[in-house]
Amino acid sequence: MTRHIAIVEDDADQRENFADALKANGYSVTTYANRPEAQVGMRHNLPDLAVLDIMLEDEVDGGFDLCRDLRALAPKLPIIFLTARDTDIDRVSGLRLDAWDYLTKPVNLQFLSVRVSSLFRIVDTLHTQTTELEAILRLGALQLDPNSMSVAWNGKEVNLTLTEFWLVQALARRPGHVKTYENLMQVTRQSYVERNTINGYVRRIRKKFKEVDPDFSMIQTVFGVGYRWQPE
Amino acid sequence: MRPFSSIPGLSIRSKLLFVALALLLIPWMGYEYVRDMKGFLLRGQENALNLTARAIATVLHDKPELFDPETGAPEVIGSTDDIFAYPLPNYIRLDGDLSDWGDQLEQATVVDGSVNQLCGPDYEPWSLRYTQVVGYRGPYLYAGLDVEDDRIVIRDPTLRRLNHSDHIRFYLQNPGGRIDRYLLTGREPGRMSVYLMDEDWEYPLTGEPNYDLSAEWRMKPGGYLVEIRIPRFLMGSQARLGFVVADVDDEDARQVEKKLSSSPRDLEQNAPLNQLFIHSPEIAKILRGLDRPVTRIWVLDRMQRVRAVVGNLASETTEPASPPRGIFGYVIRGYQAVLQEVYNLILETPSDGFVDVASDVSSRDEETFRRALNGIPQTQRRRSLDEGTEILMAAHPIWSGDQALGVVIVEQSTDEVLSEQRRVLENVVAVTLLVLIIITGALLMFASRITIRIRRLRNSAEQAIGPDGRVRDTNIAAESRSSDEIGDLSRSMSGMLGRLTQYTRYLEGLPDTLAHELNNPLNVVNSSLDNLQAEIPETRDSKYMARAKNGTVRLGSILRNLTEAANLEEALRTEVQEDFDLVELASSYVEGYQQSNPRHKFELEVHNSPLRIRGTPDLIAQMLDKLADNALDFSRAETSIVVRLDKVNGHAHLSILNEGSELPDTMTDRLFDPMVSVGKKNAKQSRLGLGLYVVRLIAEYHDGHVLAQNRTDTTGAEFTVILPLAA
Repeated sequence: MTRHIAIVEDDADQRENFADALKANGYSVTTYANRPEAQVGMRHNLPDLAVLDIMLEDEVDGGFDLCRDLRALAPKLPIIFLTARDTDIDRVSGLRLDAWDYLTKPVNLQFLSVRVSSLFRIVDTLHTQTTELEAILRLGALQLDPNSMSVAWNGKEVNLTLTEFWLVQALARRPGHVKTYENLMQVTRQSYVERNTINGYVRRIRKKFKEVDPDFSMIQTVFGVGYRWQPE
Repeated sequence: MRPFSSIPGLSIRSKLLFVALALLLIPWMGYEYVRDMKGFLLRGQENALNLTARAIATVLHDKPELFDPETGAPEVIGSTDDIFAYPLPNYIRLDGDLSDWGDQLEQATVVDGSVNQLCGPDYEPWSLRYTQVVGYRGPYLYAGLDVEDDRIVIRDPTLRRLNHSDHIRFYLQNPGGRIDRYLLTGREPGRMSVYLMDEDWEYPLTGEPNYDLSAEWRMKPGGYLVEIRIPRFLMGSQARLGFVVADVDDEDARQVEKKLSSSPRDLEQNAPLNQLFIHSPEIAKILRGLDRPVTRIWVLDRMQRVRAVVGNLASETTEPASPPRGIFGYVIRGYQAVLQEVYNLILETPSDGFVDVASDVSSRDEETFRRALNGIPQTQRRRSLDEGTEILMAAHPIWSGDQALGVVIVEQSTDEVLSEQRRVLENVVAVTLLVLIIITGALLMFASRITIRIRRLRNSAEQAIGPDGRVRDTNIAAESRSSDEIGDLSRSMSGMLGRLTQYTRYLEGLPDTLAHELNNPLNVVNSSLDNLQAEIPETRDSKYMARAKNGTVRLGSILRNLTEAANLEEALRTEVQEDFDLVELASSYVEGYQQSNPRHKFELEVHNSPLRIRGTPDLIAQMLDKLADNALDFSRAETSIVVRLDKVNGHAHLSILNEGSELPDTMTDRLFDPMVSVGKKNAKQSRLGLGLYVVRLIAEYHDGHVLAQNRTDTTGAEFTVILPLAA
């Protein structure tokens, strides 16, 4: 069964490039150029995964609005946001739209495929729980399940996106060991990542942990180098 | 066109005061006006005097008796030498008894040694003095002399010389103008013998006594009384006469020892005789009625003889008003004292008193008098005799029929006009000065207020734009509510700042917008390359594919840099602040940064530890990143980069020093602005000039600021971030 992916992107060239790349990876793809079109189309033909540009034609927040609609239709639908600006990521987390991941343009199509397949695998795990499982990582109060991309701190679930999950996973795998910016940049699987991008991700990760535990301080900054997970 | 704008350093206040000086034209105008007025007043006074003279002359028309030589009134003629003859109420019996003179005895004058100098220095009033009274009735003049003499020596008929006993000498100007000398003497009380005498008063001109003149004498205790009757025909038109009482005390020597004269001058030395006036109550009444204050009226007859003088030129001095009391009084008195000095400088002072004795007017005004007598009214101005003041005079003839009997001369001092002029000018000056002071004060206040307002506006405007050229406040509060031009200026400046802010915002947002717009085409290229690679696997290993990808990576990196500042500004709004040690952060940072940049040596200098500041460590680290990158960019190879930490004036100073090229002088203020970059372009590294802008944003977010300067110890640059310490 081919997975069905919806792409909403107002730029025709990018839209078609994304579609071509995903089709080449064996997915069926429907493309939409704007929000009203997408809203109608997806209501009739619900995709298995949606890739949404945030700014759609004249609507600055068209992607967010679409996301809310889709959440109402299918609460568990994986959604990937495409943004042109870093700050939009903060807005995504600020709006608590339960996006599964977000990517800043320009997007490396290979990385996009990796993400898509990762997300589908997670979806599969959640639905079937039959495929071979990776080991669940337990580190003190941290519990990290790579299969379902779920993280819990003190037993409470921390709602991370895919990229954030990968970063926490990279840090927690070797506590006390400094992960340099360069290491972490690769972990994010994005085209162009700066130190600030990493700082932004870590800042958001800390914030999410602090929501469940205000005293959380396991991720330490090693100024000028990178980050590390505090050993027990 | 703009007379003051070219004078450097003149404030609005000085300029306005300068303009206020134009008010000084007012006292000048007043001065000119008052000078004109003085002339006008003097002409008016002249006219008035003329009219007065004519009026007086009219009153005196057809009163020839006024010009009888022997008439007059003592009140208006008033010389001590004059002898007045009073009308006698009774028939006078010539018997030496003065009781029939009636009330006229009250008019008697006492003559003693104090009025003439004919007596020796050993004169005693009790030894000789007399009282004289003159009257007229019908064709006769009568004289009564009451002589007090301690020793009476009567005539010895055996002696031919007549001046050997007590006698009376009588001078009379005859109608021919010559002076007749009559000596009155007697052998016994009763009838006296009268002789016309020679000039030495020794022998009579003829042996016969004179019977025209009759005299009677009578002894009394301590003296004698003499009554003399003089027919008026003996007397000339000049009506001049004189008495001398000669006293002989030694019966053996029989020499005249003392003489008392009716005139203070020695009649024997041909001094003028006393003027005799017939007392006329009617004339006295007329002339007294003419008496006017500060005016002197002369009536002269054809011969220029003074018939009457009334009045006095000098004015009575008025009491000065009592000065005001209290502090206000001091101020007023001071003000007046200053004014007095000013007036004395510019005005003629009216004299307080002057001398212009009314003895003889004719000598001074011969021409005026003669013309007036010829029937032409005259006015003239002259100085007073002591040159103290100017005197105005008007002359008018007095007519009797077709003949001019005499002249009326009216004199007035110009003092009144002068003091009037002065009074008016004083008022003008006082009022003007007051107005000048008030207006100047008002202008000063007005100018100060405008200056203050403009200064306030200037300060406000300077505050609105920071030293870095950024608009801090688009709304200038100062004067924004004023409705005048300064308010307009304030409002238009606010509008200007608003537009400037919009433009600045546009400029600051430009990189972000640009990056956003470029991101999409870049993404097209990028994704197209990806797809191309997938579609045609041979391209994967093509060097051109690698270069194209490299190009997109660089382009992407540039766009990241462009958006960093905008992203940071966005992020700053949500940052949480905490207290942390800047020294700890910087040392771990330097350690880490040294690892990733082994080609340069990083040195940490800590002069003060700890330096606890409040802020976001991540941001400070980001700021250090930018500063370190900047230092690396401009460092010569193999030199060290110093990170120095110190505490100065309660602030943490974080400095990063590198060795290399210096900062251009003109750029130091603008280094921290967006899109400003220094140094030559490097193809490998993008130089968008946003790094130091990020440094500034973070420093300002922590209530600090950042400075750039050249190093003094070696060539290179030094960047210092100054942050407030945590409370």
